[in-house]
Amino acid sequence: MNSKMITLPKDTEVKPRRRPQAPAGRRSSSLHGREARGAWILMSPYMVLLLVAGVIPIAYAFVIAFQTPPTPLNPEVSFGGLESFTTVVTDYRFLDTFANIFSVLVVWLPIMLVGIIGLALLIHASPGRFGSSMRFIYYIPGALAGVANFVLWVYLLNPAQSPIQGFWHALGFTTIKAVLVSPSNLPMILTAMLLFQGLGTWILVVNGGLNNIPDEVLEAAEIDGANAWHLAWHIKLPMIRAWIGYAALMNLAYGFQLFLEPYLLDQVASNALPDQWTPTQLGYAFAFSNYNFPAAAAMSIILLIITLGIGLLVVFRSGLFGKEEH
Amino acid sequence: MAAAERPRRGQWSAGRIARVATMLFVATIIIFPIVGFIAMAFRDNANVQAGTDGFLGLGGVSWDNVVYSWSQVNGFGPGEGGLFTRWMMNSLFVGIGGAVLAVLAAIPAGYAMARLRFRFRRAVLFVTLVTMVIPNTVLVIPIFLEVNAVDAVGELWPVLVIMGFFPFGAYLSYIHFMTTMPIELVEAARIDGLGELAIFFQVATPISKQAIALVAFFSFVANWTNFFLPLALLSSNQQNKTISIGLQELIGASPLFNPTVAAGLDVKLYMPQLALATSISMIPLLVLFICAQRYLMRGQTVGAVKG
Repeated sequence: MNSKMITLPKDTEVKPRRRPQAPAGRRSSSLHGREARGAWILMSPYMVLLLVAGVIPIAYAFVIAFQTPPTPLNPEVSFGGLESFTTVVTDYRFLDTFANIFSVLVVWLPIMLVGIIGLALLIHASPGRFGSSMRFIYYIPGALAGVANFVLWVYLLNPAQSPIQGFWHALGFTTIKAVLVSPSNLPMILTAMLLFQGLGTWILVVNGGLNNIPDEVLEAAEIDGANAWHLAWHIKLPMIRAWIGYAALMNLAYGFQLFLEPYLLDQVASNALPDQWTPTQLGYAFAFSNYNFPAAAAMSIILLIITLGIGLLVVFRSGLFGKEEH
Repeated sequence: MAAAERPRRGQWSAGRIARVATMLFVATIIIFPIVGFIAMAFRDNANVQAGTDGFLGLGGVSWDNVVYSWSQVNGFGPGEGGLFTRWMMNSLFVGIGGAVLAVLAAIPAGYAMARLRFRFRRAVLFVTLVTMVIPNTVLVIPIFLEVNAVDAVGELWPVLVIMGFFPFGAYLSYIHFMTTMPIELVEAARIDGLGELAIFFQVATPISKQAIALVAFFSFVANWTNFFLPLALLSSNQQNKTISIGLQELIGASPLFNPTVAAGLDVKLYMPQLALATSISMIPLLVLFICAQRYLMRGQTVGAVKG
């Protein structure tokens, strides 16, 4: 059970149908053709959208990435080989943006995972109204996703009116700009923002995994004299290992594309922060500040390859897809 | 035996007190800023700056303040203002349109992947899973280049169409038909002489209310809060912004962060006004969340939310 991710289908799988069975054998190939034709008709709206929003943009990004950027002197684009990739990788900000992401990841990911697992276990150990209302409260910031969460944080981070004003004053900050530009603060602030908005959703996910543990297992352990702590540490935790891996990888991939928070924090710090603090911001700058579309495309491809690698790990290792392997 | 032991565990042991205290502590950390933020929308800027209004500013809330703040938020924009309402409408348009498109595409696709045999079925499922777990911001710049190539940057319809591609929805629908519609039901319908499309419309669709609700909900929430896609595609056209990037423009016009821009405006957007605009922008999500709760709590599929 524990190795199956999320809501995997129970046992109604394609396996039996692959073998030449009596009912399948009776079906003629024209029937199969009709089934496949029906399938493709039903799939067609989705396939069109997959092409428009996925396949074509990626293919086009590859085309663009291998062109030279048009310049005032030479407005014609031509084949540039790996030139745009060189531009990106040798950009003085390129390595910095990844170093910045890592400075957030090393603080945020461990706290995030411990928080998710700890709170999910606490909720699972609290049946009834109390547990479910806590789970609901933890989920609320997740619903305030994106810009709304950001404005909430502007309220918290501004020493002039923050409810944690005393905290900022004790640290010697009197303006939001001072809070943000202090060099070591940014990874901490981003960690706090990401925890606040991400914890609840992931607690729900891991809690779903805990709910999949059969009651008999827990009851048997209780009869054997396990207390709540033993149950959590020796029974529940090992049984949700796959879910923890899933949460870790998904959050890692999420970390690589950070954009909104550093982008908007720069805005409320009167542009005192680096404009290209994360890789996605750098890609955005290539496209919208330099109008160097080949470099922007190359940057997207680099990020796509990184997140694709993590994504493939998720798909293959989590059992999302594995259920169909035979 | 186990039942007989239960009441003892119901007592207030040290472990239980620690567990409840920890959970309440975390809940407090979450609730306080949200309460203070909502109160901010009901406060007066002079008091906010003076730091009066008491604990979390709850002492200074009044409806008059909201009326004033709304006049400022709604007054933002060229001429008579009204940009905020326009942005909300744009968000509703692309959010609902994208969700409808996502449902129309994902429900039949999930059914076909779950219950029909065709070549490349596993390949399509695989691509769906991979696109589902990749953060969607990664594709935004390539999408921008594509939309730019057809000269539609600044238009709302490309945003709506792109939002309609919702692989997580197709996966939810796949799981739904895998778990609720036995293959025997499809076979029986075939024996009854129904065609493949008729089976989908007459047998599968009537039992997919739950899946439709979930796909519509998750897709609308994702569309409403999407920031990077509208930022890349719509920033160039102030009238066609969505509320997420509109809020960003309001922040940028606040005297708190950008005195030079704010000095040229008729309206003053201090923290109460920004908090009001943000709170109003969350109302559609709140309404939807209350409406969809019945469906959200029933299915364990909620656990599969994309991070």
